[in-house]
Amino acid sequence: MSDDRLLVPVADTPTVRQTVESAVKTALGDSEGYVRFVYVHSPDSSREEEDPTVDPPVKETTEFLNRVVVWARDDAGDREGDLTVETARLGFDDYLFSPEDVAEVLIEDGTAHDVDRVVLDPEYDPGVGAPFLRPLEYELAKFPGLDVEEAPVQARARRTPLLAGSTPIQAGALFFVSFAFYQVLAGTLELFDVVTGAVSATIVAVGLARVTFHTDPTFASLGRTLRLVVYLPYLLYEILKANVQVAAVILHPRLPIDPRLTRVRAAVWGGLPVTTLANSITLTPGTLSVRVDGRTLTVHTLVPAAREGLFDGGLERGVRFVFYGRDAMQIASPRERNDTRVLQPPDEAETTDGNDSEGDVAKLNETGGDGANSNGGDSR
Amino acid sequence: MIERLRVATILVLVLLGLFFTFVSTTGVLRLPDVYSRAHTASQADTLGAGFTLAAVALALGWGTTSYKTVLLLFFIFVTNPTAAHAISRAADEEGIEPWTTDDDRTDEDLLDASQMETDGGDRRGDQQ
Repeated sequence: MSDDRLLVPVADTPTVRQTVESAVKTALGDSEGYVRFVYVHSPDSSREEEDPTVDPPVKETTEFLNRVVVWARDDAGDREGDLTVETARLGFDDYLFSPEDVAEVLIEDGTAHDVDRVVLDPEYDPGVGAPFLRPLEYELAKFPGLDVEEAPVQARARRTPLLAGSTPIQAGALFFVSFAFYQVLAGTLELFDVVTGAVSATIVAVGLARVTFHTDPTFASLGRTLRLVVYLPYLLYEILKANVQVAAVILHPRLPIDPRLTRVRAAVWGGLPVTTLANSITLTPGTLSVRVDGRTLTVHTLVPAAREGLFDGGLERGVRFVFYGRDAMQIASPRERNDTRVLQPPDEAETTDGNDSEGDVAKLNETGGDGANSNGGDSR
Repeated sequence: MIERLRVATILVLVLLGLFFTFVSTTGVLRLPDVYSRAHTASQADTLGAGFTLAAVALALGWGTTSYKTVLLLFFIFVTNPTAAHAISRAADEEGIEPWTTDDDRTDEDLLDASQMETDGGDRRGDQQ
């Protein structure tokens, strides 16, 4: 019976144990069963590790999934032989922004493995998106041909209201920032402005703290902000320099452009650092971030000089300086790390100056999809 | 003397702003396809607006209005690349192929070519 093929997204929630049990029970209903446990990576789950060769959360996730498999086998008991368990990690190379994206990945994976039923842990939250986006259940339900059910677990899910879920530190930090911004705009510091500013900042802090911060701001974030202030003049200088280059090309009678799509695997992790880097790249004339998947940036480059600059990784070092401190700046450029690739190489051999990366191109090609391919799970 | 220097600086900044806005417009007209146009539409504009706002700040003198122009500049620097990224990403999702030097198609040909594709240009699986 195909009805017994289940897809179960799991995460480390209080009710995951019961979800596994109920999923196994459902799958084994009357005949053989198949359960596929998937772990969906959120963009922030890849934290700020500095070793560019290791994607940090892989180990923990694998251990967690192994634990889930052990539970599932326990629950199957003597009917273990009837149960097929598979695990997979999803969304590692994608930048999953909203519950809709997560639903899309789940559906894709489910369809690929001929699954027609999703069992959701009521506490399951992939850690993606903001509270006012529609929840995952809703997005999943939009796809016909796929049953979605909640696992019946004992500890009922606590439905947290919109306003809760943030810590006092988050609310306080947001209050401070919005109050300061209000006073900057008002510019007078009169009693009226202070009072109205306090009221507005309170509303903002209570309502939006959960959206603004994922974790508590610490002194490290203060240091980051200060380093960002140091980074900005450097970025401005790069923008100015590149702008002059591009202006010269645009005004040149023959328009000597050489646009190519390139792909760079940046040595920065997590939503905010990657966004900062992608935005800096786009701000610098001659390079334009077209697509961001995980930490792989697809960048359109207009002129060879801009391409060289991108592969030399000046901005990447700047962003590493902002988020990881001064020591992290000492890193090989993307070109030296073999993390660059020209997606539209010219027909003849590379004519751009000093290009010794032909071999590297093939190499990245090989490793380009590693996150996607390493999904394939531990089946039994 | 100082006043004259200030006016001169304002003039230079406004002219620089004008120049980069002009370059930006020229680029939009001359460049071949949507991606390279997105480069120049947002980028030279950032600097064009930047210099002009700097001139405004200088002309208004030190006061509440002038540091609001700095804030304006900050927001332009955040929103401008976002818009450029949104445009190019949309083009990429449509499956529009970037123009290269050995390509003799115009941007309209490239757009037509993208609409021929039946899969809607979904790039999600193109890494394999």
